[in-house]
This record gives sequence, C-alpha cells and structure tokens, in this order.
Amino acid sequence: MRDFLSVGLPVVAIFALLPLVYANQLLLFNFVLFLILAQGLNAIYGFTGYLPFGYVGFFGAGAYGFALAVMHLAAPPALALLLAGLAALVLAMILTPLLRLSGAYFAIANLAAAQAVYQVIANPALQDITKGPYGVSLASVFAPRASYGAALLILAGVLALVAWLRHGRFGLALQAGRDDPVSAAMAGIPVVSSRIIAWLISALIAGLAGGVFAWHISVFYPETAFDLSTSIFAIVFTLFGGAATLSGPIAGVILLYGLYNLIGISVPQYFQLIYGALIVGLVLFLPRGLASLLQRRGVDVP
Amino acid sequence: MSPEPSSSDRLLAVDRLVKRFGGFRALDGVSFALGAGEVLGLVGPNGSGKTTCINTISGLYPPDGGAVRFAGQTLGGLPPHRRARLGINRTFQSPRPFASLTVRQNVALAAAYGRRHGADAGPADIAALLAELELDGLAERRAEDLNSAQQKQLDLARALATRPRLLLVDELAAGLNPAELARMAERLAALAGGGMALLVVEHLLGFLDRLTDRVIVMNAGREIFEGTLSEATRDGEVVRVFLGGEHVG
Amino acid sequence: MLVHALLGGVIYGCYFTLIGLGLNLVFGVMRIVNLAHGDVLMLGAFAAFFLFHLVGLSPFIAAPVVMVGFFLLGLPFYYLVVPRLALAKDAEMLSLILFFGIQQIIEALAAIVFGSSERSIPGRVLGVGPFHFLGQTLSRAWVIGAAIAAGAVIALYLYLYHTRSGLLTRAVMASRDEALASGIDIHRISARAFAIGLALAGLAGVFAPFMLGSVTPAMGVSVNLAAFAVIIVGSLGNPLGTVAGGLIYGVGLLLMQTYFSAWADLLPNLLLIGVLLARPTGLLGRRVRLA
Repeated sequence: MRDFLSVGLPVVAIFALLPLVYANQLLLFNFVLFLILAQGLNAIYGFTGYLPFGYVGFFGAGAYGFALAVMHLAAPPALALLLAGLAALVLAMILTPLLRLSGAYFAIANLAAAQAVYQVIANPALQDITKGPYGVSLASVFAPRASYGAALLILAGVLALVAWLRHGRFGLALQAGRDDPVSAAMAGIPVVSSRIIAWLISALIAGLAGGVFAWHISVFYPETAFDLSTSIFAIVFTLFGGAATLSGPIAGVILLYGLYNLIGISVPQYFQLIYGALIVGLVLFLPRGLASLLQRRGVDVP
Repeated sequence: MSPEPSSSDRLLAVDRLVKRFGGFRALDGVSFALGAGEVLGLVGPNGSGKTTCINTISGLYPPDGGAVRFAGQTLGGLPPHRRARLGINRTFQSPRPFASLTVRQNVALAAAYGRRHGADAGPADIAALLAELELDGLAERRAEDLNSAQQKQLDLARALATRPRLLLVDELAAGLNPAELARMAERLAALAGGGMALLVVEHLLGFLDRLTDRVIVMNAGREIFEGTLSEATRDGEVVRVFLGGEHVG
Repeated sequence: MLVHALLGGVIYGCYFTLIGLGLNLVFGVMRIVNLAHGDVLMLGAFAAFFLFHLVGLSPFIAAPVVMVGFFLLGLPFYYLVVPRLALAKDAEMLSLILFFGIQQIIEALAAIVFGSSERSIPGRVLGVGPFHFLGQTLSRAWVIGAAIAAGAVIALYLYLYHTRSGLLTRAVMASRDEALASGIDIHRISARAFAIGLALAGLAGVFAPFMLGSVTPAMGVSVNLAAFAVIIVGSLGNPLGTVAGGLIYGVGLLLMQTYFSAWADLLPNLLLIGVLLARPTGLLGRRVRLA
C-alpha cells in the first residue's frame, strides 16, 4: 500500500486537478486511458511474462460491450460499464486455453484472436446488432465530466491493484512463476491457475478501459476500438518505464505519450520513425526499461 | 539385521516406474522404497535416468507406467504443487531460484504456499531457516545476484521451507569446496536424523558415503544394483558401467 | 465452382507458401520472430515497381536482382542486431518487440520516401492471356506466381539437404546448443539463413503487385498475419512444412471466398488459433511444460 500512497494516489490527484487549469480534456482523458491500459498490461506481462499482442481485443470488447448495453438494453452508463468489463472477462475466459502456448506462439495467437473479434464486430452481416463497419453513436449518454471521473476511479483501482501485486503474496507468487515455473510449482505455487487469474484481471481492466472510452468519446468505429496501436502503445509504454513496477509504466506513458502528442499528431510518419527507433534502442540497450537504470544501482523502484 | 518391512509401510514406494521420451525409455521399470529418516543414494552414469526419476517423483513428468506411492497414497498425475503440499520437495541440479525476487521472498513464498494447510510460517521461522543455511546476510539481495554455491543453499532453503517429509536431492555437492561439502553432508545427515527421508542423486561417492550406506545403481533406465556403496564398488556390472565406457543399452 | 476454388486455392496457396517460407526459415534457425517480414516483402514489391517504371526491367529480371540485393543487405543487418539480442534472457519475446520496432521504421521510411499512394505494375508484363487447365480458366499471374514459389521451395530444399552449409543449418535448427558445442560457427550459419529469409521475402514481394493487388507502404501488417497463419498451420520452425500451411491456407481462403465471402477475412485468424489450440504440441512442438 505504501507504493500506492506515494506513487499511485498523487498521479490520480494530479489528473483530477488538471482539468481545472488545462482545457483539453480529451487529451487528459487519453493520458488516463493509457495509464490504465499500461498498468493492465503490466499485470499480465510484467508479472507473468505473457505478452498479449492482442490486448486491444479486450479494450474493443469493452467498448462494444458498453455500446451494445446502451443501444440495446438502454442501460445507464454505470451498468453499461460493468457489462463492458464483463464482456472482456468472458472473452478472456474463452481465450484462456491460449495460456497453454508459450512465448511467441501466445503473442501471435492473441493477436489473431483480437483481429478475429474485430472482424466479427465490424462485419456488415452483423450490422443490425453492432452497426458493423459504420460505427456507433451513443449521444444519449454523452457526459465528458462524469466519464472522466469514472476513468479516474478505474485508474485508482488499477494502481492499487498493481501496488498490491508488487508486494502481496499473490503477486510475488506470479513473479516466481514467471522467473521459473518449475521451481515455483515445487514451492507449492499453483502456477497455471494463478496465471489465469492474472490474465482475467488484466482483461477486465482493458474491458473497463474500453467501456469508459466508449462513454467518453461516444462516437467511434470498430477500427478505432480495435486499433492495433493501442496494444503496441501499452506494451511499449510499459516496457520503456520498466515492467513489474508501479512507477515504470506511469513514467512510460507520461514521457512517450507526451512525446507522441508533441510531434505525432502533425507528422505521423516521423513519429512512427522515432518510435520505431526508440523500440529498437530499448530492446537492444535497455531491455528492462528505465527502472533498471536505478535497480542496477540497488534502488528499489516502487 | 531386522527384516525389511513391506514396501506399503514405507513413506515412499516406487513401483516399476516407466518414463518414455518418444521411443527412448528414460526409466524402464525402476522400483525401490524409502522410509522416514532413511537416506538412499542414487548413482549411475550420465543419462542413466537418475534425474528423470526425481522429476517423475516430484510430478514434473507424468509416469508412462508403474506407480509412485507416498504416505500410503498413489500419486498418479498429481501436479507438482500439490505434491509439494503433501511433503515432497527437491533441489535442482543447477539451482533454479526466483531470480528477480529477494532471498527472503524466495523462502517466504515456499513457506506460504508449500506447507500443508494450517501450518503457517512466521517471519521468525523464515529468519531461522535463513540463518541455518547461512543466507541471513543475503536475505534482501535479489537471488540472481547470488553466486552458484549460494543459489544451491537457497534451493535447499526453499525446499526445506515447505517442511518436506521426503527430500529429493539432485547433485547438490557438485561445485562445492571441501569445507562446504562437509557442512552440507552434516546438514543432510541432521535432516535425516530429524526423520526426513532423503533420496540423494550424487556423482561424488565420497559425499554420498558420509550420508548413507544404501545405494541404488542405475544404468539405461534400469536398476542394476542395490546394496551398500562398498559392495557396489566391487560389483562387476557396476564397475563395467562406470569404467568400461560402454553403457548397457 | 468447387473445382475452380480447389484448383485456384492450390495455386494461390503456392504463393502463400513463398510468403511464409523465409519467415519460417528465420524462426527455425534463430527462434526469432521477424515481425518485419511483411515489410521486407513490401520493399521487394517497391523495388520491382521502380525497377519496372524507371529502368524498364521485367519482374523476371527484377527477381534475381532483388534477391541478391536483399541477401547482401541481410548479412550485415544480422550481425548488427541479432547477436546482441541473443544475449538477453527472454530473446524470443524481445525479438518480437524488436522486429516490431524495425517494422515501424521500415513502414515510416517507406511512407516518407515513396508516399502512401497505391502503386501497381501492369499485368501484361507477365505475358497475355489466362491459362487453361482441367477445363478451368486460371489467372496467368497466379500460375506464374505458383511456379516461382515452387521453384523457391525446391531450391531451399536442395540447399538444406544437399549442401554442406544446409546440413549445418539443419544442425543449428535441431539444437543450437549442440551445434555450438560441436564447433559450428552459429552466427555465420544463422546470418546466411537470415539473409536467405530476406531474399525469399523480396522474391515474394516482386510478384506481390500481381498476386495481392496494389502496393502501399502499409501492406506489411496484413501480409504478416497471413504469413504467420501459413507457417503456424504448416509447422513453425520447419521451412518445408510451410508448403502444407500454404496449401491449406490457399484452398481454405478460396473456399471461403466462394461460399462465405462475407467472412473470408476471418479465415487466417481462425485457422491460426484453431491449429494452435488443437495441436500445440503435435504440429508445432514447444508448449509450456507445466500446463
């Protein structure tokens, strides 16, 4: 909990106060969204070593879970948000067998799964249900301030969760299973089932993020909700700061998403170029992220 | 000599155990039994099936034939973490610590997850175990920063933290200096003295000699000799397997 | 209609074999997931485009030029990146991220240099008129693409099974550690395999304008997904198993397009997930030991 108080709570407080002095609420919302997604990805990648290339699949499932709940059930936003989380959770349960795969196989299969969900939702044949490729409009529930507040609440919950994973028994057991599944099993740790729990938690977080995204922007297309770069951003932010820490992904989002907004919007190709070079440099020279610079010197990075 | 008790009374009974990898029989019908407080040595040339035997007993591989009985219960396909909680634990030929966790966390996790339900470990418990294995000075270091002898101690500490009734020891002595060897032998002997059953795979026969008089010699997945270490060194087939360079099978 | 779908599928599948071939070779030898494979193919396609429009070279001549060029670029590129990557604890996973970064660089540079408009080469440069076979009319480009792909598979087979270098390559594929222990210069062998992988991607790229439609800098991503489906279905790490994957993929795709055209795009993904889940060991080997 002390990590949450020293790192997590201040971040939430800052983003709660920023709208008072900074007018671009959509940009702030996107920062909060990526803070949530990066920590959600951290929960599975950082603590179990499984890299979900198709993480955006849960985000998209959440966004459409929210939209369908509003469109077809006339659900109030709070309920629709819960259903968004549930949609991602159900998808993750269906995809649980993917965890039997290791390394690259898992990452690629997960990517294919996210693509498949996208192709189903965006399919014109399902236009009556999902509105297919033409996107959804949720003007009836549009409420930028309330949805920003909801995003902050989710962020607070997610930061508390990751702080707990870092020091709690369950999170340490996950890390043990990541470091060495065989000796973790001999230490009595149920490696497979704890990994599945982390997977479901991580998917739930992305689903909630997708739901609050749908609520906040209220008009979107399947290719926005299932944009592969959402996965990639979350992975790179997490990796850049340092996976399996609380502060690493936060630093990654602030620095890299900040950079993206400085140069990326006007000239996307140049940003893509810088971004690619950054990834290459990171993997070759700093594979454990910024946090490892301090960890090497014996600092316990929160 | 008292008559050998029937194998069903013993803590561990391995009965005609078979493990195949593809067409290769790594274990080809091995049987033995081990009681509480006993030490059994397992020797044989490389590839004779010693480590496979330990891996199968600890549940990493499901057996392809035969059975492992522990404390009267047939283990079948019971996964390793459940075996750990029953009281079976092990060390690894090359140590396998949780590299990114501290020494204390390594041991505390095993104590928290690996004991039978209800047997709780306090911080004092863990501190005592660390002190006993001379790891107290390293408790807050990350396991990956330890040298290999220290990592072996950690492997053992982690196994002991689960309070095993049966400890499978896989070449713990390799790479230790003579003083460390002597202390390790003493430590294992003390564990057996406390009632723990030990199955010890070892190349260093001198080390084994300090622990036990009873050994099984394996070759090509089969048991070719059971008896005392000194008899084994006079047994024709054993000598041929070890010195002849020609492995049977 | 069924015969046409099956026959077309086999022919189209040959080309998809070619797309997966280099990727699978690289994975088999180095356990590296080259996420930039589709973008190398894209560069091959642009090379063919410019060689045709600026110099007037037909794709048949552009193909060897591109292959040699990509091979020669591949060697130094290997030494620049891969040995350093291999030092990391989790090299397979990091390779995925690293080559994603490289993919981003290639795609961005291509967009900056070539612009993002769609390019194509007129189909008549491959000759005029369709082929007729078993009473079916088949696109000339497809048949030529299939023939080129078949040639590439045979050449790779001859290399792997009838040259000394190929023998060493198979040794590295079987076990990197054992190969290292027996004194094989792993990096020399791997660099060669890596460069061959790029050359094969380049070759596939030269014919991409005829097989996949127009060429854009962003085409790499969808090519990658198809290539992964092909090699995972076929058997990851076994270059010649790619043939099975390519044929299944090609036939499956054409059947879907013929009978369920609205859902045809789903095929590569469903095929990939289905095979991975049904046969994580049999078809592919490697799965988590404790699962």
